[in-house]
Amino acid sequence: MSDASVEVRSPDPQASRQPEPGAPDNWRRFFTFSTDHKVIGIQYIVTAFIFFLFGGLLAMVMRGELITPEADLVDRTVYNGLFTMHGTIMLFMWTFPMLNGLANYLVPLMIGARDMAFPRLNAAAFWMVPVFGIILIASFFIPGGPSQSGWWAYPPVSLQNPTGNLINGQALWLLAVALSGVSSIMGAVNIVTTIFRMRAPGMGWFKMPAFCWTVLSAQMIQLIGLPALTAGAVMLLLDLTVGTSFFDPTRGGDPVLYQHFFWFYSHPAVYVIVLPIFGVFSEVFPVYARKPLFGYPVVVVSSLMITVLSLVVWVHHMFASGTPGWMRMLFMFTTMAISIPTGIKVFAWVATVWGGKLRLTTAMLFALGGLSTFLFAGITGIMLSSAPFDIHVNNTYFVVGHFHYVINGAVVMGFYAAIYHWFPKMTGRMYYEGLGKLHFALTFIGINMIFLPMHPLGLLGMPRRVASYDPEFAFLNVIASLGGFLLGVSTLPFILNMLSSWNQGEKAGNNPWRAIGLEWLVSSPPPHENFEEIPVVVSPPYGYGSNEPLVSNNPAGEALA
Amino acid sequence: MNTENQRTSDLNRVLNRRSILGLTALAAANLAISYWMGQQAYSWMPPQASAESVLVDKLFSFMTAIGTFIFIGVIGTLLYSVVFQRAAKYDSTDGPPIEGNLWLEVVWTAVPIMLIIWIGTVSYSTYDQMSLLSPFAPQEMKTPGTVPGDKKESVPGDPEPTQTFAPIEVHSRQWAWEFRYPEDGVSSTELHLPVNQRARFKLTSEDVLHGFFVPAFRVKQDIVPGREIDFSFTPIREGRYRLRDSEYSGTYFAANQTNVVVESEEEYRQWLLAAAQNPPTAAENVAFESFSRAVEGSISLGWATVRPAPAPIVNYTSSEKDSYE
Amino acid sequence: MSSINVDPSLNSNAAHGTEHEEEDHRMFGFVVFLLSESIIFFSFFVGYAVFKTGTADWLPAGFEGLEVKEPLINTIVLVSSSFVIYFAERFLHKENLWGFRAFWLLTMAMGSFFLYGQAVEWMGLPFGFTDGVFGGTFYLLTGFHGLHVMTGVLLQGIMLGRSFLPNNYARGEFGVASTSLFWHFVDVIWIILFILIYVWQ
Repeated sequence: MSDASVEVRSPDPQASRQPEPGAPDNWRRFFTFSTDHKVIGIQYIVTAFIFFLFGGLLAMVMRGELITPEADLVDRTVYNGLFTMHGTIMLFMWTFPMLNGLANYLVPLMIGARDMAFPRLNAAAFWMVPVFGIILIASFFIPGGPSQSGWWAYPPVSLQNPTGNLINGQALWLLAVALSGVSSIMGAVNIVTTIFRMRAPGMGWFKMPAFCWTVLSAQMIQLIGLPALTAGAVMLLLDLTVGTSFFDPTRGGDPVLYQHFFWFYSHPAVYVIVLPIFGVFSEVFPVYARKPLFGYPVVVVSSLMITVLSLVVWVHHMFASGTPGWMRMLFMFTTMAISIPTGIKVFAWVATVWGGKLRLTTAMLFALGGLSTFLFAGITGIMLSSAPFDIHVNNTYFVVGHFHYVINGAVVMGFYAAIYHWFPKMTGRMYYEGLGKLHFALTFIGINMIFLPMHPLGLLGMPRRVASYDPEFAFLNVIASLGGFLLGVSTLPFILNMLSSWNQGEKAGNNPWRAIGLEWLVSSPPPHENFEEIPVVVSPPYGYGSNEPLVSNNPAGEALA
Repeated sequence: MNTENQRTSDLNRVLNRRSILGLTALAAANLAISYWMGQQAYSWMPPQASAESVLVDKLFSFMTAIGTFIFIGVIGTLLYSVVFQRAAKYDSTDGPPIEGNLWLEVVWTAVPIMLIIWIGTVSYSTYDQMSLLSPFAPQEMKTPGTVPGDKKESVPGDPEPTQTFAPIEVHSRQWAWEFRYPEDGVSSTELHLPVNQRARFKLTSEDVLHGFFVPAFRVKQDIVPGREIDFSFTPIREGRYRLRDSEYSGTYFAANQTNVVVESEEEYRQWLLAAAQNPPTAAENVAFESFSRAVEGSISLGWATVRPAPAPIVNYTSSEKDSYE
Repeated sequence: MSSINVDPSLNSNAAHGTEHEEEDHRMFGFVVFLLSESIIFFSFFVGYAVFKTGTADWLPAGFEGLEVKEPLINTIVLVSSSFVIYFAERFLHKENLWGFRAFWLLTMAMGSFFLYGQAVEWMGLPFGFTDGVFGGTFYLLTGFHGLHVMTGVLLQGIMLGRSFLPNNYARGEFGVASTSLFWHFVDVIWIILFILIYVWQ
């Protein structure tokens, strides 16, 4: 057996061939049905980022409306459509595809594989993203406009269909979400199979980089949770279109059951989003602190604990929905329990940074910024899990502030950290640090300025999803709106940096950060099929400070030896 | 094994760099700031107008203090690293290869566990004292007249009810609130409650989910159409407060709010008597009026909307211009 | 290089490109997919149980309850087909192609019989899918399962057609194995569904 594997490890002549289109310098490959995981990864990230900008524009119109107490800038129906689409786009068309993009690009490189397990399935899953994106955005242009029922689509509001048309905003919304679910399941099957079966020789579970662990944990949640949302969405669609009455209370249906289906998935979905970002933190801190990830085995196992716990907390979204007292108390305790594995991670990152030799590159700054906003969100999260307090702030701006600290704070900043960190690997070029630091400063100030005032607003009792509000909330809303516009502006230096650096940035070597990891052993950008020779891993992943080699062979092959 | 010892000693060096005394002083300062923040937390809340609000604010203050302590502890440590532990410009060496520390890891697993047990216990007892009448709890079956939540005696400002009032019917619809006092033949768009009495409600919705939310009372309950939900709390402070719809209910959701007036029992009785004399009139209703205005003025309606229910016909109407706390 | 101690039991893609490994990946991925798919059914089952225990007028007015006899015959046919498809696979393993085709065709016939029986039952019922939550859940569950049976029969048809291609099994029997696994899955789901809808009345 070992003889056989040694034999196959020898350079594969097929791998060195660079078929057209697919050569690294050919930008046109990003517009093809490429099956190269690196191309698909970048396709995912760029597509998702375009949707992120669009969702952000919607948010800025909303902040424009909220700068005054009256509903004056846009009609109430338009405002309601805007926040529905903002939430839907940001979750289903920005975070999921963006994280799938990172996973797609990084996981095969990090585990020493030449591609994903199912390259064609991978490409098909990606090309569904623009399809359902267009379906969702098309709902802006149909009579009656897009769905106005919020991204939760709670019945009976979501079943009201004032247009009376069969093709209405809500139906298109459900179609888009269902397709997104199919795409995510395809992605999840692929990623889980890849991680389970395609790790390089020697890469046991506890030699696998933390990012792969978190991706695995997140995709397992997708596989378990998404079907429940699909079930709820199918029933809602049938109610809306063919006249069944699953969730219609006037005909014996139960609208609260939908909430259970919805949150059984949509709370864990938050962990689907944030777990890979935890992985990014675990990758970035050791590199720029020049220290091994502190407590690596515990950090990675805590990801799995989060996966398991995330499946038993969903009712905390429904403390005010008419849930019995025992359910409120039970889910209060399970929700609080999630802070244990999460706390382990936070402390481990702090200990990783502590006593290191820090280099505050843009990536490190974003990771530190993301960690601090995540810490804040985690603390407000524990507060929210406490049922008596949650009953007061449930459905108020306190919750909006809390989850934007997670998603815009930790996740978007974590995304930026990942992009800056792996930009040299993906493009072969360096980014401009100055622009990057400007980007960080604007983002960090913007995020705190828009989302921090939302907490006192919620405590004072301003409900979320309101197009107008009482005048006493005006001052804090003005600050939040200004922060929102600043956040919008903050993307400009990023886009400028990415576009110009990709074109004319300084050439990056294989490993500009002196980072440890299989992806840094090959050229930048990595060749087609990644490794000339499949690496043989002999060391744990974060050997900073100890001069042990990570692999026993030269995965880049003769060319770069 | 040798490297293991080396690593442990490295760690000790890192840990012992600051004297125990210094650390203790920092922890004490953090504790003081956290306590102060906990006290500040009260001022971030609306007026305490119900017995429940006293309990919730205390819980929030407690959690704010703990949260502040953790936040300052972690961010302070990070900031120290960021400021003082930067690599020199041409220093390309690595930091100490510390891969972990069993003792530390046990501590920071045990500390959160104890903290959440603490927070959980405090939350549980707060909930128990509030004993918000859960819609499906067995209390529902109790005979009318017994006031649920007997454990509330210990709550300050919540004296024994002198007399129990029949439940007030809360009717929510797109987009209006209507309160009916069946025994007194009064219907109103403003909710009037006697102070220091357990107020009881039957919440119903005629169309979609709504949420009964009075920030000054710190209570909230979704109203599910097709169900009659029992709900209760105890107002303890006279004044006029805002009642808001807290579960998104469609186009005019944001305008679906009204006022709650908490007054002395005497004033309450007088109000009921006076209101009962009033002829029923159509109330002021933001949703219906702006919808009608839009239709008449042929202003662009934006996108499709559900037609608002006509303004409720009630004995007593409130105005959006009324002041409130 | 040979001095490195690589645990041979570790999963590796060292044999990247060989058919056997690829097939293993596909089977692994397919099992993961089926596990995920089963959760959709599980969600519907939970929904059914919640509705049934929580609804006052569960059955539509004037409807006494579902007939069990014909569905039971259907059930027996469908469950037996799981054994038939197993034998078909055994024949393929022994490279007895005609035995495989015969048993495979028998499975398809049994699946089609099930679908036919289901259609006949649907025709005879006095309620439609818009008649209350019972009607909705009944048709949703049986219909969603029926779609899976139909998919299974279609896949079997494709596999049968492909068995006539020369060298079809040179690259492994993933198609046949996964179709068969899918069929067992559909059967297990039906057993739960039958207990839930017909037995628990």
